[in-house]
Amino acid sequence: MKEVLTMWRHTQMVVLVALSAAIYAAVLIPFKGFPIIPGAVEIRPANVFPVIFGLLFGPAGAWGAAIGNLIGDFFGTLSPGSIGGFVGNFFLALLPYKMWGAYFRRDENVEQNVSSGKKLAVYIAVAAVASMACAVIIAWWVAVLGIFPFLATLVLIVSNNAIMAIVLGPVLLLALYPRVKQWGLLWTEIMNPEEVPASRLQRVGNVLVWVGSLGGVAVGVILSLTGVASGVGIGLALLPFPILILVGSFILGGREQVEAAHEMIAGEGQESEA
Amino acid sequence: MDPSLYLDRGTWVHRLDPRTKMFLLIGSFVLAFVFLNPLYLLGVLAVVLLFGYLAGVLVNLRRIWFILVAIAIVSAILWSIFGSGRTPLFLFVEREAVTYGIGVALRIDITIIAGMIFLSTTRNEEVAIGLVRLGIPYRFAFAVSTALRLVPTIVATGLTISQAQRSRGLDLESGNFIERIRKHLPLLVPVFVTTVRSTNVFSMALESKGFGASPERTYFLQIAMGRRDVLVLVVFVLLLAGCIALRVVGGYGGLEGFTR
Amino acid sequence: MAEPEVSIRNLTYRYRGRKDPALDGINLEVAEGEFVVIMGHSGAGKSTLCTSLNGLVPHFLRGRMEGEVRVGGRSTREGRVGEFGQEVGLVFQDFEAQLFSTNVALEVAFGPENFQVEHEEMVKRVENVLRQVRLEGFEDRTPATLSGGQKQRLAIASVLAIQPRILCLDEPTTDLDPMGKLGVFEIAEELKNRDDVTLIVVEHETEETLDADRIVVLRDGKIVANRPAREVLQDVKLLEESSVMPLQVARFFHERGTEDEQLPLTPEEGVEEFERRGWRVSPERHRELVEADEEREQSYGETLIEVEGLSHHYPNGVVALEGVDLSVREGEFLAVLGQNGSGKTTLVKHFNGLLKPTEGSVRVDGEETVKQGIRRLGQRVGYVFQNPDHQIFSDTVADEVAFGPKIREMDEGEIGERVEEALTAVSMEGRGDEDPFGLTKGERQRVAVASILAVRPEVLILDEPTTGLDYAEQRSMMELIRRLNEAGSTIIVVTHTMWVVAEYAHRAVVMRDGKVALQGSVREVFAEEDELRDASLRPPHIVSFGNALGYPVLSVEEMLRVTEGG
Repeated sequence: MKEVLTMWRHTQMVVLVALSAAIYAAVLIPFKGFPIIPGAVEIRPANVFPVIFGLLFGPAGAWGAAIGNLIGDFFGTLSPGSIGGFVGNFFLALLPYKMWGAYFRRDENVEQNVSSGKKLAVYIAVAAVASMACAVIIAWWVAVLGIFPFLATLVLIVSNNAIMAIVLGPVLLLALYPRVKQWGLLWTEIMNPEEVPASRLQRVGNVLVWVGSLGGVAVGVILSLTGVASGVGIGLALLPFPILILVGSFILGGREQVEAAHEMIAGEGQESEA
Repeated sequence: MDPSLYLDRGTWVHRLDPRTKMFLLIGSFVLAFVFLNPLYLLGVLAVVLLFGYLAGVLVNLRRIWFILVAIAIVSAILWSIFGSGRTPLFLFVEREAVTYGIGVALRIDITIIAGMIFLSTTRNEEVAIGLVRLGIPYRFAFAVSTALRLVPTIVATGLTISQAQRSRGLDLESGNFIERIRKHLPLLVPVFVTTVRSTNVFSMALESKGFGASPERTYFLQIAMGRRDVLVLVVFVLLLAGCIALRVVGGYGGLEGFTR
Repeated sequence: MAEPEVSIRNLTYRYRGRKDPALDGINLEVAEGEFVVIMGHSGAGKSTLCTSLNGLVPHFLRGRMEGEVRVGGRSTREGRVGEFGQEVGLVFQDFEAQLFSTNVALEVAFGPENFQVEHEEMVKRVENVLRQVRLEGFEDRTPATLSGGQKQRLAIASVLAIQPRILCLDEPTTDLDPMGKLGVFEIAEELKNRDDVTLIVVEHETEETLDADRIVVLRDGKIVANRPAREVLQDVKLLEESSVMPLQVARFFHERGTEDEQLPLTPEEGVEEFERRGWRVSPERHRELVEADEEREQSYGETLIEVEGLSHHYPNGVVALEGVDLSVREGEFLAVLGQNGSGKTTLVKHFNGLLKPTEGSVRVDGEETVKQGIRRLGQRVGYVFQNPDHQIFSDTVADEVAFGPKIREMDEGEIGERVEEALTAVSMEGRGDEDPFGLTKGERQRVAVASILAVRPEVLILDEPTTGLDYAEQRSMMELIRRLNEAGSTIIVVTHTMWVVAEYAHRAVVMRDGKVALQGSVREVFAEEDELRDASLRPPHIVSFGNALGYPVLSVEEMLRVTEGG
């Protein structure tokens, strides 16, 4: 996870944090009319952005999504729920880029666009898991605080995030990836390989995140339907799942994506000299 | 249009150190969660409103009243359905659940009002310098305050883009659910592109002005904790401690017979 | 002789992934205290040259640099951008993207903070510098509430606060209205008079370069001129070949065969020279011009847009328009002029239904706009917004242009036809498969126009169609618009580029503080120089020239036609 800290050395990454946060907040604010859980759940197409920001800008997108959500709260709904919203959106953007590399072999093209059937499938899978993870985190937090029933929160967040990410995401990526690449702003091109942890145990990390997210949702739904609606009970019962997600994220790495991007640049450079 | 909540009233509350106000904000979140009983919560609400009155910012309640009411209603209804208690009222709804729902609604509304008071009395740059003085790394605080500066600009750009696309015939109202979501693309793409395009110029401008030139920097905005800050903090801590004692030791302010 | 402040030797720079160099063998020296202006077409390398002064080239931008740049004796290859920031202050064209603080004072203090200036000193500098750029009293304002001109002055202030010895301004007045431009020029004027500041400005507006010590003209990455300002401005041929707009008075005399060294540059000089040579204006030929104007007026068709007693109040109470009366007939080419905030954009936004009148009425094709709605009006009145990037969202040019027809549910065949037609009209036929984001700004603007044309509106409104384009691109765009007008479209252009109005528009409306200040044929309106000045507008040099001689003309060509003698 160290790229989340090392990224701050790069001015462009700092700026991308600010810009993605501002875009997210700006698109959220007009829709502030009907918040359901202040800071954590609102109906909005803007929810597609965290996944996109994460894939394109990596850790800058993660910080941007988290800060953007918080700033959105500055315009009316700042509350303890905002803490959950912060962490939840952070992972909503983080997981896509961390998990992306786990699905491609060394020789395959690992660029974060949706230029093939396989990539589209990976995108949908990753967006779905990230949506679930985000929901598990926020719903858990909100349930522990006792401000909202776990099940309602969970269902609302998963559906909102997943629908927006899957309906709008691929088309957005198609339009945005070439631009961002042309401007030299892909995180994989800005950051250096040694700033990102290596991905030795990538498969394991991937599995942990899947278990944490799907498991969290499944167990949470079962527990809710059988009676332990919220509070300390559900908090303890579900605690392992956010922890699994966190541990998985640590293990996932991501260095080979950066290496691949740098190789591509070097290749282009040689071409233009030839 | 300035969507910010800040109101320049120059009261003693405004002049408190931003760190004090942040502490009060978090503290008020804790305070709101000490009690469950709506009656006690009303007391907390009164204290918060009093503070807002002293700061002269209650007029901002006008801007968030819809949120406060919406949440109250949704919360009361949801908990009435999902919670269970001892004394049945009608259908499957029990009295304790309704009371709990109202209690939760009050809790959320208290925290939102506290948040509103904080934002109405603290400038963005004070938030940033407060964070820095509390130990948050400068670059992080910079990203936050830059994002704050850019939001009104991007909102304005978004409105222009919306006008431009509507002039071409874009109609966001018609179509089924999925179609209507897709129709947001002509808005989302230009907003993203025009904003992100400026990243490189932005970064160049920053570096040209010495951003990152040296690890240390001086600060134009100076903040300092004064006597009033200490006084306010002490009073608040006593209040909080008192309430906790009331609930934990005395057993007051809880809610009997309710299970979630 | 003292070491020059800036010394560039054989600088060649290639951006990553591009074969052609952006700068090719540049050799340039700038001495302390000089005021140098850099001019050239879009893509000539002007901005690249600016960024080479403080080390952004080669350290930030990705590419390969050959040769050397020395600033204050030090090579930019050594040391980081941040270090050079104390000697070289760089102000970029995009004022929005270089302001990051939430209030004015902090923005100005940002640079000194980074360079660890002591608090007391910082406070003094902030006060000083805000006064220099005439923003005193603005310390607590949010940048978002400032006008474009104020934002640019703030950007300059934030750089001045660092107290650099060299100040480089890259097209500081593009996108600003006349007042905004004036504000920036005044600051540049004061700065140039200081010995301790070396001023380098990249500028499009030829009329403002008269005060420079030297002008450097770039073409395709190379320097084609590096001489005292007056000499360069008199080399009309060179400027035209480099896609830089020559001074109109100079071009007039040049076309009449005057030698370069004797060319007058300003209207005043021109009048003197004109009389000295005993040239005259032929009243008969001038009358022909006026009669041609009147004939054209007669040829217009019926009234398409009728505005009566229009007033518009914004929700926050601001009165944007008051009692406006106007009519636009079929086939006209109308220019709406005025400062930012004069109400010109508010006015035209009523024509396609984006805004509704608070009082009074706006009728399009005989029917009130409030009854028609944006969708229906969009069929008749097309509105091309100023920034094409606010519209473009598709992957291909063809998809972008097809957006309007698709929304109106035309069938496939019809859509294809319309797209072809529109692309041909903007001279981009066959380019439907290209990626809009890869095009130049001028080309993107054409795509935006094409996408509106595809719906075949009767009236076309264009908001600032020439901003951000170089002289050749501006001409190209205006020729396109003229062709559309000649083919039958009614054109309304909102702009403050005066020479464009003079040469292309038929009628003009000048807005001031929400009211109509002047209305009539362009020739009539531009003869009222005092009124224009009250509205913060200045006519182009050739127009002032003609007015001073008593015969209003609108272009160099017209002046040539009516002059006799010599």
